[in-house]
Amino acid sequence: MRRKYGVTLAASVWVFIFLIPLLGAIYTSLRTDNAISSGPFVWQFDSTFSHFKNAMGAAGYDFASFFKNSIIISTGTVLLTIFISFPASYSIVRLGFGGPWLLRLALALRITPAIFFVIPFYKLFTAYNLIDKPIVLILADSFINMTLAILVFSGAINEMPLEIEEAAAVDGASVWMTLRKIVFPLLGPGMAAVAVLTFLFSWSDYLFAVVLTSSEATPVTVGAANFVTSYGIRWGDISAAVCLSVLPPLVFATAAQKYLVKGLSSGAVKG
Amino acid sequence: MSTTFNKQRRTAGWILATPLLLILAGLLIWPVYLGIKTSLTHDVLSEFSTYGVGLGNFKNLIRQPNFWLSLRFTFIYALVATTLEVILGFALALLFDRVFPGKRVLFSLMLVPIMIAPSLMAVMFRLILNENIGIIPGFLQKIGLHFAIFDQHNIFTSLIILDILEFTAFTFLLSYSALQNMQEEVYEAAAIDGANKKQVLLQVTLPILRPAIAIIFLLRILDSIRTFDSVFILTGGGPGTTTQTVGIYIFKTAFIYGDFGLAASAAIVLVLILAPFMPFIIKQFNLNQNGRR
Repeated sequence: MRRKYGVTLAASVWVFIFLIPLLGAIYTSLRTDNAISSGPFVWQFDSTFSHFKNAMGAAGYDFASFFKNSIIISTGTVLLTIFISFPASYSIVRLGFGGPWLLRLALALRITPAIFFVIPFYKLFTAYNLIDKPIVLILADSFINMTLAILVFSGAINEMPLEIEEAAAVDGASVWMTLRKIVFPLLGPGMAAVAVLTFLFSWSDYLFAVVLTSSEATPVTVGAANFVTSYGIRWGDISAAVCLSVLPPLVFATAAQKYLVKGLSSGAVKG
Repeated sequence: MSTTFNKQRRTAGWILATPLLLILAGLLIWPVYLGIKTSLTHDVLSEFSTYGVGLGNFKNLIRQPNFWLSLRFTFIYALVATTLEVILGFALALLFDRVFPGKRVLFSLMLVPIMIAPSLMAVMFRLILNENIGIIPGFLQKIGLHFAIFDQHNIFTSLIILDILEFTAFTFLLSYSALQNMQEEVYEAAAIDGANKKQVLLQVTLPILRPAIAIIFLLRILDSIRTFDSVFILTGGGPGTTTQTVGIYIFKTAFIYGDFGLAASAAIVLVLILAPFMPFIIKQFNLNQNGRR
């Protein structure tokens, strides 16, 4: 048994190393301004959580609206991505739509760098006066994430036994009925994997956000990075803002960890 | 089956794929056209008129030393970071591939970096690395070590360490999944043959998992070549242009210097460099799909 605790210890040390950035941010967010400016090892904690209050609006930053934007953009992206990918995957896998080409296109798109689309998207959305609106980021993020979603969905549909659908067809069920009554309920785990991955990746988007928003639709990623340059000395407030920013995806992905692992390891490329 | 049935299925196929086709038309075909068009146009923000220049931007691009430097930096960075992350990720997966107290919690904590946006991670790095208030410089000072994290000579090492902290979780997770898929009988057979732990690892586990490790390496390096957020926030490509990834080069060319034509041509060159990997990924995915069923 002693040996086993040795493994626990070794694993804990590595976990600690990987979490140093996050722990550092949490540590700073809980300290008083005085302690922060006196050096990293002055132990004096702020019992009123003033940095968190400041970050959420007490000090007049726009952070609360960045947070709201991130929620809108990520939730919208999850819904739109599922709306696009789920029916399309069924069409590709079971109805033979597009032969093997649509899946191949999805895979090729997975390794096309997002930076390739940045300039055309900027041109396109500027032409239609859509810059700095959440819908633009929902569209861009859905486009980037739908390829992963199609791969996960088509994998999950492939895994479903064909016999159930065939039996339904023999009994005279239409494609729509089969889809609604059989496929959709069976696809829960795949749906969860797509939802958690899409939420995570759209919450993490920085590149599209920095190009396609200026102030109104700015999400937390760009907001937090700008925060550092504009309020460089307010480290306590910045730390609190960052800690709050990582919370929603962290909670969601930890709760759905099983699906996160399944989705990521189903051979799909990370965005 | 009857023809009406087949017709119904074909119609359904089209209807179900319509949202995808609309998105592909609006956000793939149209933008790719715009991207190619921009790359063939003299399109500079400060000038009001744009006009076609043929391959002028591409000719101009290959004469830009900064473009080649950014390509070189990107590939060296991606290669070094990926190699270290794959080795460390696999080693940690081996460590976790057994029963030990607290495994569930520690496994979940290992995955936390995946859940944190690279840009937010970069902000945290700036916080812990800040020379006045950061815990890392403070700690180094305490133990009497002098290491200027953002110094020109150290910046590459610093960025690689940060990349490792951020992305090893990904290689760890994929390696762990691969280890879970190993057949128990293989180990039993090795044990019967009297193989020791080192022999099992080198002569059984590694050879069997070589294709899986290769694909993890490929996925990670393709991802790494696209690095933008974290390096951009930490160094902005500096000092000078020493840490400029291709992504940062394209971004700055377009949105700081306003030369959209040149930036679009650089983006196309980057895609062409990555294009040869596409058939490989496609083949790999098909193998995965068929192999598992």
